[in-house]
Amino acid sequence: MNQIAIEATGLVKTFGNIRALDGLSFNVAKGEIFGLIGPNGAGKTTTLRILATLIKPSSGSAKVFGLDVEKDASEVRRIISYLPEEAGAYRNLSGREYLEFMANFYSLNNHDSHVAVEDAAEISGLGERLKDRVKTYSKGMGRRLLLARALMMKPRLAILDEPTSGLDVVHAYHVRRIIQDYVKTYGVTVLLSSHNMLEVELLCSRVALINEGRVIGEGTPQELKSFHRASNLEEVFMEATKLG
Amino acid sequence: MLSMVLMPLLIFPLMGSAMNISTTAVEESARQVTVSLLDMDHGVMAQSLSAAFRVMNVTLVETQATTVDEALDELQNTNMTTLVVIPSGFSQNLTLGLKGSLKVYSVYKSLSIAEQAKTSVVDVPISVFESALVRQAITQAFPGRDPSTVLNPISVSSFSVVKGNVINISPSVLSSLFISQSIGFPMVIMMLLISAMQVAATTISIEKEEKTLETLLTMPISRLGILTGKLVGSVVVAAAGAAASMVGVNYYTSSIFSMLPTETVNLEALGLSMSPLSYGLLGVVMFVTIVSALALAIVVAAFSENVRSAQSIVGFMNIIFVIPSIVLMYADIEILPAPLQMVLYAIPYTHAILAAKAAFMGDYLVMARSIAYISVFTVVLLYVAAKIFTTEKIVTARISFRKRETKAQSK
Repeated sequence: MNQIAIEATGLVKTFGNIRALDGLSFNVAKGEIFGLIGPNGAGKTTTLRILATLIKPSSGSAKVFGLDVEKDASEVRRIISYLPEEAGAYRNLSGREYLEFMANFYSLNNHDSHVAVEDAAEISGLGERLKDRVKTYSKGMGRRLLLARALMMKPRLAILDEPTSGLDVVHAYHVRRIIQDYVKTYGVTVLLSSHNMLEVELLCSRVALINEGRVIGEGTPQELKSFHRASNLEEVFMEATKLG
Repeated sequence: MLSMVLMPLLIFPLMGSAMNISTTAVEESARQVTVSLLDMDHGVMAQSLSAAFRVMNVTLVETQATTVDEALDELQNTNMTTLVVIPSGFSQNLTLGLKGSLKVYSVYKSLSIAEQAKTSVVDVPISVFESALVRQAITQAFPGRDPSTVLNPISVSSFSVVKGNVINISPSVLSSLFISQSIGFPMVIMMLLISAMQVAATTISIEKEEKTLETLLTMPISRLGILTGKLVGSVVVAAAGAAASMVGVNYYTSSIFSMLPTETVNLEALGLSMSPLSYGLLGVVMFVTIVSALALAIVVAAFSENVRSAQSIVGFMNIIFVIPSIVLMYADIEILPAPLQMVLYAIPYTHAILAAKAAFMGDYLVMARSIAYISVFTVVLLYVAAKIFTTEKIVTARISFRKRETKAQSK
């Protein structure tokens, strides 16, 4: 089995005059929680969208477990799941109906589908509230439901864009626990983005610092901190952008 | 979505029967009229006039009042609206060959057409009585001659020639039939398409608005599968809409044609009633038209940010239905100036209206041409929709927006 989960090489993406990615490269090993960190507009979401097969790079290439995101897009979609930063669930369905609906796309038999939905129900921690319509959920509940959807199929790669964005401390803590447990239990590889440096430090085994569409530093949080003689990733980032 | 099925089912029959119902209602209310009579003459002619009223089904209630003022006061307290006053000397004048005078007082309680009909109800018996007097006078003046040849020396018979067949229906009857048909169809097609487009645009734009589209697009199903799913859902609604239209059309035509004297005219032979083939072809026309509108709406909605913007763009596009509908309500396409004709022919929805008109005339060639043109247009639109769905276009409309937003925030 390929031990390299993600291989992004020289990714460039332009939108009109805007150069969102400018030769971005990084690798992610299987079973890692890999964080992309950087300010707004650094290119994190664009990178995740390319890997999730939503958009195509203007140049460069990206492979997920050896599959090209452009040429083998439909195979890639079978082994990944993507949680967009601003995602929603179908508001008129109940939480459980939403999970069942999404499980349908994986053409599973009844048993596997049931197992997936039960897993998701547990991950979400929503309990009885799963019977209620999504539109009655708080933002945190909705995010937990969506994360459960993203993890329920035990994808080989979960791409999570700002998984805790907009959540309060309690919900954010819960979501981080879910991600860590899932990686441990099922060996799922996680690629996530965040502009919350502390969260990344708590959660990620390795990180890439991104600024203006380029990787300006890569390594474990510890490596980066010692290299830049910083006490946390926030300081690392400020140092790195000065150098970059 | 329900409206697409219910609307044609309701509108066509409503259109067809609205005229019948209102005409009947007016006639009914007029028929129930009772008229108050103040007879100050008590002569033989007054009695004949009363008889004429009764013959024409108008109930006369003779008032006990002795003056007009009293009679009018009395009228206010009843549900009668008309007072006929026969002044004294009425019979004497008429017998002497002088003018007899009658006074008719109409009390208006509202200003509707029904009131008008009530007050004019006395005109008929009076003119019947008058014409009896005239005929009597003619018979006396010209013994042995038919009074009607004196009164109407020329008789005019009206015929209509439709598709080379001569039928003895007056052109005014036929043209009112054609007017209702040529206004009705464009209107219903227009409304059906507008609601179909709203449905389809919403199915896409709601995914964008509620941020479910990106997740959906990363599911292990093909993009064309998603597009097909969206279309099939809308097409099922569209097919139901088309079927409902046909049921409605059937009801509509039967109620419209019921106004014509079918015992004297063979409508089928004239091609004025729809043959099964016409029904079938018209159904196909409606179906491809609706599918093309759905595809158009999906293409438009793919570029919009949310339901509201999708619907406002779609609303703006309704102009391509509204223009041919309104123009063709008032004119046949052949009589329009050439440039306008070309513009109209280029709009696929013109062909739907032309096909609906052709269905009545059994003009299968026009219908087939409509189906072909609209189908080609639909295929092109579906191709464009597929292109949008299989490339990143379906996502990037929002990306470019978000970039601008981010820039604006950072300033």
